[in-house]
Amino acid sequence: MSVFNREAAVRLILLRLARLGAELGKPALAQADEQTRLFGEASHLDSIGLVTLMSDLEEDIHRACGVRIVIADERAMSRLTSPFRRVGLLADHLVELVAAAQA
Amino acid sequence: MRIALVTGTSRGLGRALAESLLGDGWTVHGFARGPQALAHPAFRAHAVDVGDEAAVQAAVAAVLETSGRVDLLVNNAGAASMNSLLLTPAKKAEMLMRVNYLGAFHCLQAVGKAMVRQRAGTIVNLTSVAVPLALSGEAAYVASKAAVEALTKVAANELQPHGVRVVAVGLGPVDTDLTRAVGRDQLAALNVRIGRPSGTTLAEAVGFVAEEWGGAPSSTGTVRYLARLG
Ligand SMILES: NC(=O)c1ccc[n+]([C@@H]2O[C@H](COP(=O)([O-])OP(=O)(O)OC[C@H]3O[C@@H](n4cnc5c(N)ncnc54)[C@H](OP(=O)(O)O)[C@@H]3O)[C@@H](O)[C@H]2O)c1
Repeated sequence: MSVFNREAAVRLILLRLARLGAELGKPALAQADEQTRLFGEASHLDSIGLVTLMSDLEEDIHRACGVRIVIADERAMSRLTSPFRRVGLLADHLVELVAAAQA
Repeated sequence: MRIALVTGTSRGLGRALAESLLGDGWTVHGFARGPQALAHPAFRAHAVDVGDEAAVQAAVAAVLETSGRVDLLVNNAGAASMNSLLLTPAKKAEMLMRVNYLGAFHCLQAVGKAMVRQRAGTIVNLTSVAVPLALSGEAAYVASKAAVEALTKVAANELQPHGVRVVAVGLGPVDTDLTRAVGRDQLAALNVRIGRPSGTTLAEAVGFVAEEWGGAPSSTGTVRYLARLG
């Protein structure tokens, strides 16, 4: 079983954002970092982009770690700070989900 | 190779739809709780209760594992119950909502994500003429199928930008296990009411639903009935 740490999660998200940016004609997404906002004001993604990102990431994680996760789970929805707000927060959430699925 | 996932393939319309797709060269994954007698080299049976979210997610993952993609989802699995509203046990209403609405919801969600990744796909949800007719004696069934129709329209709006088409197809009475408990007179009267006095054969029903992936697909968000509704 491969180790999926925070660094790997951030890398995966940034890679996906860059690809999505190319697809959506939003090159700024290639310059994203941990502080980049994913949703809401000052974000480069609309709800369609966010859905695409989450669906793509679920598959990436399956390929990388061999586990199937659902990113928008109850835990994500009930968090005080949404994991969809920034890249770094999403990375934390992904690491938790993968660890739980691998346990 | 085109890949389809059809729910409710152990009998009735679902089985006939699966056979028709297989005949057209599709690979078909079939979901049902009970045993599935359909035998074909391109048919894969999965034992799944569509009302169970985790089971649906696991089964869709297994489909993606073997076939890599899903081009068509047919949310056909369903249950019905004839009862006047005031005599319908709440448990029955809950069961119908779970199978008809949540079953479609879970499958749509799990397969929808794969289709978003593919940036392509077609989802067909089964409904009934009982919805536009607001048919007496079928309150719980009609409500569950009305929910399916509403889900179809919202899903169509949300998934259109991802290249995914979502439609609903509504039938009148077709001779399957679902309608066997209903009186012949009642079915005949309903067939007259929807402008199909000689009824609808299983083959006609399959042909009508299959238009969505065959010759004449309707635009996303459409709810189409095999009936003449006044
Ligand atoms: N027949 C009609 O007159 C008519 C008219 C209008 C609309 N429709 C719609 O057409 C669809 C098919 O109906 P039908 O006439 O073919 O019914 P049917 O002969 O009773 O078959 C229903 C199918 O759904 C499956 N199913 C039921 N509950 C399930 C669950 N929880 N999980 C997985 N599969 C489940 C059954 O398999 P298992 O029991 O093995 O799970 C079976 O394969 C339904 O959505 C129905 O509402 C039918």
